[in-house]
Amino acid sequence: MSSLLLMAPALLLLLAVFVWPLLDYAWLSLQAQSVFTGLETVPVGAANWQRLLADGRFWQDAGQTLRFALVSVALELVAGLAIALLLHQRWRGRGTVRSLALLPWALPTTVMALGWRWIFNDPHGPLNGVVQSLGLATVPFLASPDLAWVATVVADVWKTTPFVALLLLAGLQMIPADLYEAFALEGGTPWQGLRRITLPLLRPYIFIAALFRLAQALGVFDLIAVLTGGGPASSTESLAVYAYLNAMRFLDFGYSATVMLGMFLLLLLGAAALLLWRRQAEVGA
Amino acid sequence: MSRRLTAIALGLLLALAMGLLSWVWARPATVVRVLMPAPFADATADLVATFNRAHRDVRIAVTRGPFETDAVSDLAISSLLLGDSPYDLLLMDVTWTAKYAAAGWLEPLDPWLGPEALEPLVTGARAGNRIDGRLYRLPLVADMGLLYWRTDLMAAPPRTPDELVAIARALQQQGKVRWGYVWQGRQYEGLSCVFVELISGFGGQWGPGEAGVGLASPAAARAAGWLQQLVNEGISPRAVANFAEPEALQSFEAGEAAFMRNWPYAWQELQRPGSAVAGRVGITTMVAEPGAAPAATQGSWGFSLLSGSPHPETAVTVLRALTGEASQRRLVSRYGYTPTLQHLFDDPELVAERPQLPQLRQALDQAVLRPLNPGYAQLSDILQRQLSALISGRGEAATAMARAGRESDLLLRASGQEVGR
Repeated sequence: MSSLLLMAPALLLLLAVFVWPLLDYAWLSLQAQSVFTGLETVPVGAANWQRLLADGRFWQDAGQTLRFALVSVALELVAGLAIALLLHQRWRGRGTVRSLALLPWALPTTVMALGWRWIFNDPHGPLNGVVQSLGLATVPFLASPDLAWVATVVADVWKTTPFVALLLLAGLQMIPADLYEAFALEGGTPWQGLRRITLPLLRPYIFIAALFRLAQALGVFDLIAVLTGGGPASSTESLAVYAYLNAMRFLDFGYSATVMLGMFLLLLLGAAALLLWRRQAEVGA
Repeated sequence: MSRRLTAIALGLLLALAMGLLSWVWARPATVVRVLMPAPFADATADLVATFNRAHRDVRIAVTRGPFETDAVSDLAISSLLLGDSPYDLLLMDVTWTAKYAAAGWLEPLDPWLGPEALEPLVTGARAGNRIDGRLYRLPLVADMGLLYWRTDLMAAPPRTPDELVAIARALQQQGKVRWGYVWQGRQYEGLSCVFVELISGFGGQWGPGEAGVGLASPAAARAAGWLQQLVNEGISPRAVANFAEPEALQSFEAGEAAFMRNWPYAWQELQRPGSAVAGRVGITTMVAEPGAAPAATQGSWGFSLLSGSPHPETAVTVLRALTGEASQRRLVSRYGYTPTLQHLFDDPELVAERPQLPQLRQALDQAVLRPLNPGYAQLSDILQRQLSALISGRGEAATAMARAGRESDLLLRASGQEVGR
């Protein structure tokens, strides 16, 4: 009983900031509340949910959000691991480089997105400057539905790789050095050391980094809003951008809540899959 | 003794007078809070200061909002949703009026301004302020789409879409310009603005009441197809699919393009030192097919009174002062904004300073309004998605426009509105 009492403040806080808004959204998703109802709430049963299931744009955006999240997080893990391994070695100037490597992460997203919008500019941006100096035709990075999403991934990888690198670096420092010494005495090569010692022991950190980053990437909003505004042809639009459009532009709060909840349910599924995968990986190990 | 009494009496009197005076001075003035986008807050700063000096009982407090239209709307809506708006007046884009009125956020202005409030205004500033017969907004500045052309490259501007393409292509082949025509093709409101004047120029109309809100029509398909053709044939750069106003201006200002679609503000930017085309730019209305009238998309910013303002009458006094003739003269001559009062367009003094005023007036007389509908933002979004796909090389114009028409009809039906045949 006393344990419950001690936990009460934390539980109340969770209820207030997490459960209550969620319930509020669930209720709102069963109402029509939009500019067409004069912002009055009118109960409409499952109408919003039926619309969601049939809404091609929701599913298109869900696919695009998933593609963005998976590709960028995968790239960030690979690049982050490489950087972490590098920064873990002892070399001159490491301290300076360690702080410099964090810079992209410290930059506000809107600022860096504006920067990338300029870098990708066709034809005046620096990237197209390089393309032109190679004698090639400029590339409309942000104006082509096939390229624009790649551009969003590149910007995201640039921005958040330092975060992954930092988490993994912390993990590397937890691995005792004598493990490697013993391994070297037994005649193991550094490459084998990476595969047999580093990666297995780093797994929990990789998992945490992936979980954090996936949760963030699936809710991506600011980067896309500034870099492409969701275009061209909505090819970079994420679910968060769509929910925002419904609420703040179309003043359709009932449907916006439904989109947000739909996104939340998809996230939940994703997290469950990840946890399951991890449990299986542990059993297998 | 009596002298001492007199001194005391005098002292008391003085103290009383000073107290009275300070009470009068310090009597709290009614504060009228106004939210404006940053450029307008800056342009009206001295007008506001003058007003505050002249009125002791009223004080205007301007909140300098963000630069971008959408960001200002987000800020206003976030505060309005909380119920008790911190503002009395809001400077609004023309496309917000129907939505804000339907949401119940605006107070009709008729009781104060009377039925003839819009009479002194130029044609292209009158529409879009009245909804269901009630006046919800009084415009401060007019705005409309214009076709900018290079006076050094051609004798007269093109009047039809075909002429524009022919002139542009010839100039590109001669190597005089890199691009023929730059405009706003990014997936945002600017793209709808490009389209609404073009569909008129192709003999159509975008708006509820038409079948497929006018998009399931040959005119819509031809207008959209023309935009697609511009990109496909290299008259416009592929990058136009991510162009907003600044990108188009940048390209035209660098002398890269023969034509540009933009708003009146671009005129001043193009005349600045450092502009490659200063003194070599003309303005006219958008091209139209033979037989169809050229059209200019109507923009404009205007003040609305927010419901829940604790002192609406004082707020309207401020609204009158800020939109009045003295204020407009200053905005025109000092900042190059387009006035809304009809007689200012022929004012010799102003025309001497701003020789483009008569041409702006002509364009305003051809102004077309974007659909005045509470669901406008969503109608516009549906259109933008299809247009953006076409411009970035996906799909076929007639099919895309028919789909946009169907989606628009669905939306209007779901909201309980009548849909055209």
